[in-house]
Amino acid sequence: MHSDNRITIPIGPQHPSLDEPGRFDITLEGEKVVNAVIGVGYNHRGLEKTCESKTYVQNLYIIERVCGICSHAHGTAFCMAIEQLAGVTIPKRAEYIRAVVAELERLHSHLLWLGVACHEIGFDTMFMYTWRNREKVLDILADLGGNRVNYGVNTIGGVRRDIDADMVETIRKALDALEEETKHYVEIAYTETTLISRLKGVGVLSHEDAIRYGAVGPVARAAGIAHDVRVDEPYGAYKEIPVKVITDTHADVYGRTVVRILEMQESINIIRFCLDNLPDGPLSVRVPRRIPAGETIIRVEAPRGENIHYLRSNGSDIPDRVRVRAPTEANWHGMKHMLEGGYLADVPITIAAIDPCYSCTDRAIVVKSGAKTDCYDWRGLRQYGIDWYKKRGIDVTALKV
Amino acid sequence: MTHDEAVVTALCKKFPFLSERISVQREKRIFTKPLTPEEFQQIIPYVHRELNFYRACHVVGTDDGDTLGLLYILTDKNNTLLILRESVPKSNPVVKSISSIYPSILLHERELADLFGVVVEGLPEGPRYPLPDGWPEGNYPMRKEWNPKYFDKNTMTYNDPNVKEVK
Repeated sequence: MHSDNRITIPIGPQHPSLDEPGRFDITLEGEKVVNAVIGVGYNHRGLEKTCESKTYVQNLYIIERVCGICSHAHGTAFCMAIEQLAGVTIPKRAEYIRAVVAELERLHSHLLWLGVACHEIGFDTMFMYTWRNREKVLDILADLGGNRVNYGVNTIGGVRRDIDADMVETIRKALDALEEETKHYVEIAYTETTLISRLKGVGVLSHEDAIRYGAVGPVARAAGIAHDVRVDEPYGAYKEIPVKVITDTHADVYGRTVVRILEMQESINIIRFCLDNLPDGPLSVRVPRRIPAGETIIRVEAPRGENIHYLRSNGSDIPDRVRVRAPTEANWHGMKHMLEGGYLADVPITIAAIDPCYSCTDRAIVVKSGAKTDCYDWRGLRQYGIDWYKKRGIDVTALKV
Repeated sequence: MTHDEAVVTALCKKFPFLSERISVQREKRIFTKPLTPEEFQQIIPYVHRELNFYRACHVVGTDDGDTLGLLYILTDKNNTLLILRESVPKSNPVVKSISSIYPSILLHERELADLFGVVVEGLPEGPRYPLPDGWPEGNYPMRKEWNPKYFDKNTMTYNDPNVKEVK
C-alpha cells in the first residue's frame, strides 16, 4: 500500500519480533516511521470466561498459565485476592517463599529479555551468555517447584513447596555465580560503545509521555518514574524487605536495558535478604472453599511491571468475575509513540524493549481434559513426521541428499 | 485525616450526590456505588485536573444482571486507587469514551465494546480488540447469558437452543 511518498508495511501478525503474534501497520516516509497502528488480540483465549465456571482452586492453575514467564506474579495476585476476601492471613514463611520465587522469576525474566534484546540488535554473544545464566535460575525453580515455568508454588492460603537448608545453600551458590556475571553485564551496559550507540535514542518515550500513556515497570522507571508496587504499596514479605527502586533518565531502549540489568542485582540482594531472614513456621493456612461475597483489587509487581487483578465473589466456590490487567496491556499505549519518529530498522528492538507478552495481554488457554494424548520420543516423533508426509504423497525417505 | 479520606471529602463536597455513595474500602482503595453516565462524566474532569488522578490503570466490565458495571480504576501519586463505578442498562449500554483525557484506557474501552457489547461513543478509529475479524455480530462473550457451549468456532456461529431467534 502506498500513497504519495508514503508506504505502509504490515509487520506481523506472525512473530513481529518475538515468537508471539501481534500486528503492526507501519507507515514509512523513506526509512522513517510516521504512523504505527497496533493490532493485538491474536492470543485471546477466553480465560476470564472460563474462570467463571471453575472453582477457585482450579482457577489458580488457569491463572498461573496466563503467562509462562511471570506465572508466579499472576498466581500470587490471584491468591492474595482470594485470601483477602476470605479474611485469612498467610504464614510469614509462606510470604517469604513467595518473595524468593518472585525475585527468581524476575531474574530469569530479565535475563531472557536481555538475551532477546541483544539478539534483536545482532549481539548474539551476549544472547548466549544471558541464556546460559538463565538456566541457572531455571534449575533452581525446577528444583523448587518441579517445573521450569509454571512452578505451582502458590496455593490459596500459602505455598505448596518449602525451601529447606540444602535448597538455601544451592540458591546461595547459584546467586554468587550469577552476581559475578551480572557485574559483567553492568560493565558491558556502561562501557560497550556498540551496544550504547545502537540503543541510545531508540524508542524514546519521554517522562511526560510515559505518565500520559500509563507506562509501567522498567519502561516507566527508565523514564525516571520511580513507580514500583513493591515499594509504593508493599505486600506480603515486601513490607519487611528493603527494596531499592532502580530508575534511569534516558527514557529510551538503552535506559530500559540499564534498569533491567541493575534490577537483576537488586533481585539477588532481595533473595539473599529473604534467605537470611526466612521465618520458621507452617507453609499454609486453611481457606474455606466458599469465599465470602465481596470484591477486591490487588496489585503485584511482576517482572514487566504493575499487575492488577480484580476479583468479585458471590459467596460460592466459583468466582463471579476475574479480571487480569497484565503489565504489557498497560505498556501497549505508549508503543505507537515509541515507534513514530524512529527508523524502520529500530522497530523490532523497540517492540522488544517493552518486553511484550502477548499472552498476558490477551490471557490464557484451556486444554480440555479427557482428550487422547500421545507421548513421543525423538525417534517416534521423527517417524510420525515421515508418515504424515507419506500420507500426503511426499516420501522424504526417498530423497537423496 | 488520611489521604484517602481527604479524597472522599473533596469529592463529596464538590459532588453532593456522592455522599453515602463513596467509601474507603481499605487503605488505598476508594470505591463508589453505581453512578449514571451523566454523573460519571461530571466527575472525570475534576478527578483528573483537580485531584491529580493522573493515570487510568484499567476498566473492569461486570455483568450485574439487567445492568452492566464499568469499574474505572484511576490512581494518583499517593498510589491510591479510586474506583468509579459506572452503571448502564444492558439493553442500551451507551457510554462516552474518556480516552481523550486518559489515553491509557483506549485498549480497555475497545475490550468493553467487544466482550460486553458496550457502545463507547467517541472511540477513535482503529483495530478491534480482542476478538477476531469475522466474529458474529451481537455476540458478547463476557455477558453471563452467553454460553461458550453453544458457539461453533468452525462456522463462527452461536446457536442457543433456548432462544428461537438468534441475535
